Amino acid sequence: MIQELDPRMSRRKDLLDIESLTRDELLFLLDTAKPFKELFTRSVKKVPALRGKTVLNLFFEPSTRTRASFEIAAKRLSADVTNLSIAQSSVVKGESILDTIETMQSMKVDYMVVRHGSSGVPAFVAKHTPAAVINAGDGHHAHPTQALLDAFTMQEAVGDLRGRKVLIVGDVLHSRVCRSVSTAAHKLGMEVGVFAPATLIPSGRPDYMKVFTDFRAALAWQPDFVYLLRLQLERQAAHFFPSLREYHNIFGLTRERFQVCRDQGIYIMHPGPVNRGVELVDEVLTYPRCLINQQVENGIAARMAVLYWLQPATTVLPMEEDAIA
Amino acid sequence: MSSRVLFKGGRIASAEQSSLAELDVLVNAEGRIEALQSAITPADDMEVIDCQDKVLLPGLFDMHVHLREPGREDEETIESGARAAIQGGFTGIVAMPNTTPPIDSGGMVRFVHTLAREQSPIPIFTAGCITQGRAGKQLAEIADMHQQGAVMITDDGDPVADPYLFRRALEYARHFDLVVACHCEVPELSRGGAMNEGARSYQLGIPGIPACSEEISIARDLRLALDTGTRIHIQHVSTARGMELVRRFKEDGAQVTCEVTPHHLLFSEEDIRDYDTHLKMNPPLRTPQDAEALLEGLKSGLIDALATDHAPHTEFEKNLDFAHAPFGITGLETALVSLYDRLIKPGQLGWDLIVQRFADTPRRLVGQERVSIAEGAQANLVVFDPEGQTHFSREGMQSKSMNTPWLDQALSGAVVGVVLGPNRLMDRITA
Amino acid sequence: MTPDTQVTLLSASDITNKVERMTAQIYEAHPDVPLACVGIHTRGAVLSQRVHALLTSKRDKVDHGTLDIALYRDDLDNLGTIPMIKGSEIPFQVEGAHIVLFDDVLFTGRTIRAALDELMDYGRPAKIELAVLIDRGHRELPIAPDYLGQRIETTRDAHIRVCFQEIDGRDGVFLREGESTP
Repeated sequence: MIQELDPRMSRRKDLLDIESLTRDELLFLLDTAKPFKELFTRSVKKVPALRGKTVLNLFFEPSTRTRASFEIAAKRLSADVTNLSIAQSSVVKGESILDTIETMQSMKVDYMVVRHGSSGVPAFVAKHTPAAVINAGDGHHAHPTQALLDAFTMQEAVGDLRGRKVLIVGDVLHSRVCRSVSTAAHKLGMEVGVFAPATLIPSGRPDYMKVFTDFRAALAWQPDFVYLLRLQLERQAAHFFPSLREYHNIFGLTRERFQVCRDQGIYIMHPGPVNRGVELVDEVLTYPRCLINQQVENGIAARMAVLYWLQPATTVLPMEEDAIA
Repeated sequence: MSSRVLFKGGRIASAEQSSLAELDVLVNAEGRIEALQSAITPADDMEVIDCQDKVLLPGLFDMHVHLREPGREDEETIESGARAAIQGGFTGIVAMPNTTPPIDSGGMVRFVHTLAREQSPIPIFTAGCITQGRAGKQLAEIADMHQQGAVMITDDGDPVADPYLFRRALEYARHFDLVVACHCEVPELSRGGAMNEGARSYQLGIPGIPACSEEISIARDLRLALDTGTRIHIQHVSTARGMELVRRFKEDGAQVTCEVTPHHLLFSEEDIRDYDTHLKMNPPLRTPQDAEALLEGLKSGLIDALATDHAPHTEFEKNLDFAHAPFGITGLETALVSLYDRLIKPGQLGWDLIVQRFADTPRRLVGQERVSIAEGAQANLVVFDPEGQTHFSREGMQSKSMNTPWLDQALSGAVVGVVLGPNRLMDRITA
Repeated sequence: MTPDTQVTLLSASDITNKVERMTAQIYEAHPDVPLACVGIHTRGAVLSQRVHALLTSKRDKVDHGTLDIALYRDDLDNLGTIPMIKGSEIPFQVEGAHIVLFDDVLFTGRTIRAALDELMDYGRPAKIELAVLIDRGHRELPIAPDYLGQRIETTRDAHIRVCFQEIDGRDGVFLREGESTP
């Protein structure tokens, strides 16, 4: 049998950010996530695509949710998963990241899922290992699988994203989620608005970001989605805003603003975990168009799509494309 | 053994002329230039060195070098730094005092000079600290350091944050006519930053260092210099606006000079693509517009000097993530060749400007005699091969540290000879 | 024979005949038990649909499904490009079902191995049979068709191309010899 040759997508070794993905690759990953999600309704939720492969979750920054999501994704592809959490301080001081990678390499892992508090570490790891590297969040830089699951969730809600609008609210300056989500949204043809105190709006932001200085005006822009970013509470100490109370009053999704969203039928998203009473009021969580739970569920399918797509440089042998028949 | 050396067929660069002069250089046994003429006839007692197609220029002088000794001899030593300097065409350098311990006393100055005399074939000068331990709290014994031969004072690596203390330092330094070199930065504005704040830092998610951090500090130092009448030297200017401030205060009569590094001319923040820590330094690489303006400033003379800010760091340190890796790159061995490849060869910069900004002015600023290729002068020259190529390999470089963005790259041009008095410190001319 | 030369193995009417005969055989073997046709993407699914359409005109209770075996392949490592996953659609109870699995060409048998594995992950069928339009030999696994359109002798690197109206705009089976001979 001759395999259908199109549509096919050439593979990459690593997924480090959304910036470097083409629009086609983005769409390919979103389309691929769909059948993975359908798998979850089967009696056996596992497929053998990564059988015999080892996925290493290398987390220099604590995270239970993202790590669990990657772990389930890898296991549903039949890969073996090893988790390694390293306190970041010990790496910066004594052992270099390079030493860690070399140690890991001797364990012959095929995929490395890397999270680090410092931007660029997954890229550095990728350069020094034949394993496929997935950035699971680095510093303020990128969180590409989050953006994929968010775009997937948005697509599920409204279909084609071209011409749709997303309003991102919160710490645009420090948020890797914002960087990746806004880049993905832009590449998928969406309009991107941001709303935050001026202290948290970066001067070097891309031109396509429409900046709002008033929540009312931002909602009057008629976004399809309001995407609330998680606020790192320590920003207060660095004078980005004076108090959580004031932040919530001016920049939070208060009861009154939530009512406007409900009236307009706006979908609400948040990468979690939520600071209740800061980014949003409790009622939002039971709103039918609040997509927070779908985001979590879709994280697994999106990450399976990424694991399926990437090709580690560990085991590449030249072979005919249609050798299987 | 021939007693005299004839450098034949080369072209001589000078501060005065943009064109090169085709003259032969005859150096006598004492290391003096005996004759500088076209077509000197070789005699039996002359060793003839074929300099056809080569450029001969006065030995360069780098007024901004971190030699790391004492304290971080794993990064660089006076001995290895001197070798790196010769490799790059420098016949004199000024060591910065931010060693461990810092060079903040007459005794420390003497220590450096003693080591330099023992281990370096080229003169090594040192700067002294402005404040004790570079802590910014208490004036260092500036006069003592001056008497021991310190050629400038600076807390380079950090500004003197307290403006009161800095004002007193300027007044005190004026008493001894010492030039004060200023690392300009407001630490509170730069805190946590690792690269220029702007579109690139946003994209890469790296905390930024805003241009205003440097510019506010430059403005403060210039303003105090205007009042005190002290000679100040603004180190490594990296922004167009910072440079404009210097212009304004020069016009107002402040005794100010400034320098630019080759990397701030040849790179910009846009070159930082994959978190290459070899492009992390302080002040950071700014915008391409800044780099362009700095080049114009260098040509017009608004920028007085070139300096490398040679800052060696071990591979281990530079292999840390971008935010945690130390600031700084090496520059001694790459400065002239990279400037040649990127600016001189394409016709953007003339050899006369190189001589002015990278030999004459820096020497003058630290009170050293001018060096030129002239009859009767001591031989102090560099032979440069424009047709050659330099491959900056780990094996070939002399510095103990390899933290340069030019690592493993091959550029046009090569330093093939360095002559200081009767000594040929490097000779690859015929190789 | 030059590598470009294409030989027609089956014409459009040949295909129609083979599909009809195959349908008759399946019908005879399973006159009344609940039956499901499952086609392997992409052309196996077309074959399966055709047989399914003919079967439903003769009897009822025939289910239909499609399998995308991309995630069950044993050579994912070696693929420089990967196919878009179309996803499998099995809208019936696999547990206890009588299933006829369809593919256009039977070659090494690896695709069938992958399809069997995938089907098992949906449940435990009572029986699985295999129907293929072309059996070109060169098996690498102990797999044989229960219903066969045509057996054809081929060299290892020959290309068999099955065209269906639904996808390719015409019906026909073609042979193109590979660069080397066995």
